[in-house]
Amino acid sequence: MRMSLQTLRVLELFLENPSEQLSGADVQKRSRLASGTLYPILLRLESAGWFVSRWETIDPSSAGRPRRRLYRLTAGGLARASAVFASFGRGVLA
Amino acid sequence: MTHPGLRAALPAAMLSAGLAGGVERCAQRLIQHAARRAPPSLSARLEEEWLADLAARRGLSSLRLAIGCCWAMRIIAHEHTATAVPASACALGNKVMIAGTHHRRSASSHRTTAVLLVICLHAGLIYFLATGLVHRSGTLPPTVIQAGVTHELQPHYQPPPPAAPRLTPTRVEMPEPVFNFDLPADAHPTTDLQVEQPQQPGSTSPPLPARRVPGGPGKGFPNTSDYYPPAAIRLGEKGLVALRVCVDGNGRLSADPTLAHSSGSARLDDGALRLAQAGSGHYRAATDDGRPVDSCFPFLIRFDFKD
Repeated sequence: MRMSLQTLRVLELFLENPSEQLSGADVQKRSRLASGTLYPILLRLESAGWFVSRWETIDPSSAGRPRRRLYRLTAGGLARASAVFASFGRGVLA
Repeated sequence: MTHPGLRAALPAAMLSAGLAGGVERCAQRLIQHAARRAPPSLSARLEEEWLADLAARRGLSSLRLAIGCCWAMRIIAHEHTATAVPASACALGNKVMIAGTHHRRSASSHRTTAVLLVICLHAGLIYFLATGLVHRSGTLPPTVIQAGVTHELQPHYQPPPPAAPRLTPTRVEMPEPVFNFDLPADAHPTTDLQVEQPQQPGSTSPPLPARRVPGGPGKGFPNTSDYYPPAAIRLGEKGLVALRVCVDGNGRLSADPTLAHSSGSARLDDGALRLAQAGSGHYRAATDDGRPVDSCFPFLIRFDFKD
C-alpha cells in the first residue's frame, strides 16, 4: 500500500472516529482533497482491505437526495493505520 | 405590485439560475461519461456514488467535482488494469496475458505516435521557417523603381524661415560716394556755394559763401529691418541699395524715390524703395545757411544680418 501524504490525511480523518462512516463528499469536505485524488485513494484503501464501503440505507424519494456510498475503517485497517501513524509519529501531519 | 429592486434582480437571478443549472447538467454529463469509461465492475457503482456526491454540490463546485471524477477515473482505470492483468493471466492463461499486453502496447503506440506527430510538426515548421521564407525572399522578382522629376511645385509652399537671424540693420548716412551718380549740384554733401552778392557801390568786401547741409533720414525714420524682405532673409540675400530721393523743406518726398544703383537683388531694391517711400515726412531737409530747402540727394540703404 503506497502511503502518500494524501492517503495519510484520509486515514487520519477516519482515525479521529474509527466507527464513523463517511461518504466521499464528507471526506473531501474535511480533508480538502481534490476529488480526482480522493476517490482513487478510497478505492485503493478499500481494495487493500483497510476500508469497507456500503450504500447508505435511506429512501431517496423521502430524503430528497440519492443514496451515498459510505466508507469506514475495517478492524485490520484500523490496526494498520494506527501502526502507520505510530511509525511516522502524529506530528508529521500536524 | 412588485418591488422595483426585485423586478430588476429577477432576470439576473433567472440568468444565474439558468447558468447554474447548465453547469450542473454539464457536470452530471461529465460524471456519467467518466463512470462509463471506468472498469465495468466499478462503472455503475462509481456513477451512482459520484452523482450522489454531486447532488451535494452547487454551481462551479459541481463542475470541479466532475472534472476531478474524470481524472479519478483515469487513475482508477490505470490501477485496475495493472492489477487485473496479472490476475487474469493467472486465471485464463497466456491468451489473456497477451491481450493485456497488447492493450498496453496499443496505448503506448498511440502515445508514441502522438509524440512523433508533434515532433514532425515542429520539424516541418522549423524547416519552412528556415528554408521556405529564405527561398521565397530570394526568388522575389526585382522591384522596378520608376523615378522621375516632377515639375509641379506646390504653389503655396513656403520654406520654413531660418531660426531667428539677428538683424543688424545699418543705416548709412551719406557715406563717401562709391557709385557714379548723375547728381545735381545741390546733392553734394557739403558745398560751399558762391552766392553772388549784389555789388554795392563803393563796397570792396568779397562775397560770403553760403553753408549747405545736405538732407538725410531724420527723426522717426522707419527702421530698415522692418523693410528687409522676408524672402530675401530666407535666401540669405544682403547688399547695398543706392536711391535717389528728393525731399522738400518739410522733410517730405517731393518725388518718388528712384533706384540709383541696384544691389543685384530685386527683392532688396524693392524693400529699399518701400523704406524710402515710407520715410516721407521723416527726412531731414537740406539747409542752406540753416534754412530748409528742397533738395535731392543719394540715399544708401544696407541690408545685412549676422548669422
